[in-house]
Amino acid sequence: MITLRGLTKRYGDTTAVDDLTLEIGAGRVTGFLGPNGAGKSTTMRMIVGLDRPTAGEALVGGRPYATLRWPLREVGALLDAKALHPGRSARAHLLAMARGNGIPARRVDEVLETVGLTAVADRRAGTFSLGMGQRLGIAGALLGDPRVLLFDEPVNGLDPDGVLWVRRLMRSLAAEGRTVFVSSHLMSEMELTADRLVVIGRGRLLADAPTAEIIARSSRNVVCARSPEATTLARALTERLGAEAHRADDTLTVSGVAIERVGLLAHELNVPLLELRTQAASLEEAYMELTGASVEYGVSDRAGV
Amino acid sequence: MTVEVPRRAFAAEWTKLWSLRSTWWTLAGAFALMAAMAFTLATSTVHNNTNDVPGDDLGVVVASDTAVGSVDLVQFVVLTFAILAITAEYATGSIGTTLRWAPRRGVVLLAKSAVLAAVTFPAGMLLGLLGTAVAAPVLGDWGRFSVGGTLADSAAIGVYLALTSVLVLGIGTLLRSTAGAVTTVFLFLMALPMLIGGSNTALGQWISDALPSSAGRHFMNGGGDSYGPAVGLALLAVWTAAFLLGARTALRRRDA
Repeated sequence: MITLRGLTKRYGDTTAVDDLTLEIGAGRVTGFLGPNGAGKSTTMRMIVGLDRPTAGEALVGGRPYATLRWPLREVGALLDAKALHPGRSARAHLLAMARGNGIPARRVDEVLETVGLTAVADRRAGTFSLGMGQRLGIAGALLGDPRVLLFDEPVNGLDPDGVLWVRRLMRSLAAEGRTVFVSSHLMSEMELTADRLVVIGRGRLLADAPTAEIIARSSRNVVCARSPEATTLARALTERLGAEAHRADDTLTVSGVAIERVGLLAHELNVPLLELRTQAASLEEAYMELTGASVEYGVSDRAGV
Repeated sequence: MTVEVPRRAFAAEWTKLWSLRSTWWTLAGAFALMAAMAFTLATSTVHNNTNDVPGDDLGVVVASDTAVGSVDLVQFVVLTFAILAITAEYATGSIGTTLRWAPRRGVVLLAKSAVLAAVTFPAGMLLGLLGTAVAAPVLGDWGRFSVGGTLADSAAIGVYLALTSVLVLGIGTLLRSTAGAVTTVFLFLMALPMLIGGSNTALGQWISDALPSSAGRHFMNGGGDSYGPAVGLALLAVWTAAFLLGARTALRRRDA
């Protein structure tokens, strides 16, 4: 379990992380979402003690990271896959990590096998592709068989097979009762992987809820109705139910009202319905709605046009 | 904290150091440079003693002193190696990984210091023996050689390189950039003492004598005009401790 209490990081006048308080529980995958510059990496760096919080604290299993005796046995992290010496072989890199934390050397070969790098274990890490580097980073995170795992953009540079592999790995780590906290920009991937989502924007907490609930909350969940008398139905929906209805030919896209009420209203008006269905928002849409006002390096829709 | 934590940090740093090819190349380079320097200095001594100019005659010299004299140049190869032990971590970003393995930052610095000393002390001794072995046959009758003296001089070179390696590790930790640290070390250990010492004032001489390179020279040469070898060793140790403490403070305060 990871606990953040009033976690804050300021650089001069800029507040990178603003009073984050939340708990990231065990036994599930928690996705960490937010636009570029929202403070995701800074938050993760504070959890593992690399950056010092300006205020508040980050605890792992109830303790600050810096007080852990053998940190790699309790917290595994992939923060920056390139953060290793390019002249050292994958095996030597992991072996040094293992020796530093009293992890048996055979564990190095085990994790190399797990991430599929056995064949290139003695090659210098500097010759690795982005995807191989990512796999080596994941091997490092798994090395100490830790209860808590952090992954910052783990599928970066991975091919579709690799993406699928990472998804299954995250799910199985969580199923073993571990805490898995993973940031990503790939919404479709997060929708499939994460049980729960933490969304931040400009360093502030925007949402902390189960993935399904975040999607359900979105105003992009709409009702689609097709009717030869779409205009009549649209007017009634707006005037009598206060819903928002957009018409394109004979199809209405209705938001702000439940599907049952659309059906009952059509019946009442004696308007024939050719089709009536709900259209669920995607996580991407729900996310865009949540973070729309907090994009740090955003471009306006009409920029440059 | 038990001894287990620093012991394992040492093991990790030891593995890191020897798993880089550059470690082997740098040490090989230091030995090659020592052989070349000792040969050149010995040849020059023989030449000065046998030419027609009486003023430059050095007479019979101690063979291992040639090795000690060569350290002036050879040390920069060893010290660059010591600087890289920390600045390469900042250059590659691997410092973040290192500090996640070992979040007690003082322990990391201590482990790196111990690993450097454990490499540079024996390397320095071997360099002294190599320099003497190259110089003695070239010097011939102009050289004096004793097993005890050679061993003592070589051990002194080892101690000097071990202490200065830790000193420049401190400078590297403070500055984080390889180029910045190498330049600073060169200026601080070589240029500054010459500049100040050359000013020919009592204060300038006093400051120059107090600098770590002068302290090291007094120590390795068995004393000098200003103080004896023990004072030189103590001075050098104080400088090293001061830089190491400064580096520890900086490393613990900064974000990685």
